[in-house]
Amino acid sequence: MKKPAKTKTITSALWSLRFKLNGKKVSTKVPPTQTLLDFLRLELGLTGTKGACLEGECGSCYVLVDGKPMNSCLMLAPQAQDCNVTTIEGLAQNKKLDVIQQKFIDCGAVQCGYCTPGLILAAKALLTETPHPTREEFLVGMEGNICRCTGYNKILRACEQAADEMGLKKK
Amino acid sequence: MFYQPKDIQKALELKAELKEKGAFLAGGTDLVVLMNHGKAAPENFIDLTHIPELRAIHKHNGTLELAGNVTHAQIGKLPIRCLALASLSVGGPGIRELGTIAGNLATASPAGDGSAALLALDAEVELTSVRGSRRLPLEKFFLGYRKTALAPDEMIAKVIIPTNYRTDWAKNGKRGAMNISIVAAAVAITPKKEVRIALASVAATPLRCYQTEKLLTENGLTTETIRQAVQTVRSEIKPITDHRASSDYKVHISGVMVRRLLENLVKA
Repeated sequence: MKKPAKTKTITSALWSLRFKLNGKKVSTKVPPTQTLLDFLRLELGLTGTKGACLEGECGSCYVLVDGKPMNSCLMLAPQAQDCNVTTIEGLAQNKKLDVIQQKFIDCGAVQCGYCTPGLILAAKALLTETPHPTREEFLVGMEGNICRCTGYNKILRACEQAADEMGLKKK
Repeated sequence: MFYQPKDIQKALELKAELKEKGAFLAGGTDLVVLMNHGKAAPENFIDLTHIPELRAIHKHNGTLELAGNVTHAQIGKLPIRCLALASLSVGGPGIRELGTIAGNLATASPAGDGSAALLALDAEVELTSVRGSRRLPLEKFFLGYRKTALAPDEMIAKVIIPTNYRTDWAKNGKRGAMNISIVAAAVAITPKKEVRIALASVAATPLRCYQTEKLLTENGLTTETIRQAVQTVRSEIKPITDHRASSDYKVHISGVMVRRLLENLVKA
């Protein structure tokens, strides 16, 4: 992280936040200037969501909000009010990894791992919206995520294999 | 304080009361970046993301009315070529889900990707406050470097664009994704065969090239007029040298981009 994000409370009163996180209702109070990223990591201990650039350039902070990929470093926590938020911790169902997660492991698409949660959520959003992505559509769907280790080939292979395995083989 | 109004009226009342002390917050792709880097700390936030009517797109008498919080992701699906291409070139999927058309305009960056496209479309903005609404052509909205005609109690409630222009758009940058333009260019032909040309990142504000438009509107699009247009475009812009490219390069590439876009429009 470039700088630890300052969570200035300023003069503001705490915000009563209610939303759904990984399928469970959350009801709590947050400083309104705290980003969703900091809230997830510092208050809830969900450190799967990463922070790096804090300006929306790298995608390591992606979460799904009502199914759409969003940079949690650019959202203030109160903006999640009444929304459905999914983090990487919520992707496995009944202790079984999501097929995208499994393919990242199988294909060796992880090196340092810092970008991985964001990439997997970007892929999840893409495959939900576009069931038969072409190579070009994969590249657009993942263009908001930076990986400094892998060179992306194994990541793309993992995503394409996940699409195939989901029975969504491209036409 | 953090406010999360559920309708426009309530948001406008808050803005009228707080004026400069109340920051509108939507996608956060500008404001929260500044906050994260310690460069902004608004006293009050008026969060506009929970106002459903601000996400609406309406067809109205041959125009499209885009409410202020329509996102780049939404615009990317519209059949308005120059604007859709511009929105799809903004950031990555996460940024496009967050960033809004009104936020893009209110920031008034000289490099605003949507701005060149909207200028070529003769877009109008509807500025609304508790005092009422007024419409401005977009070129009257940009007053200077990051300065706009927005009064302290106003919001950009709508952006109005025609649906019957033939348009195209291009961006010159260092890489394909997550990229701020070195130059962005939009061209359009109106149903009356008038030509519109707008560029971003070539002056303190996104701008229209009126002399070039006049030349092409009066003399039509031919090999010869397009060749002349390259020269007039280059004389109408004043880009600065910065870390993205030199002024000379921006002047040169602007001419090239406009020529290619016009040639494509003629062919299409």
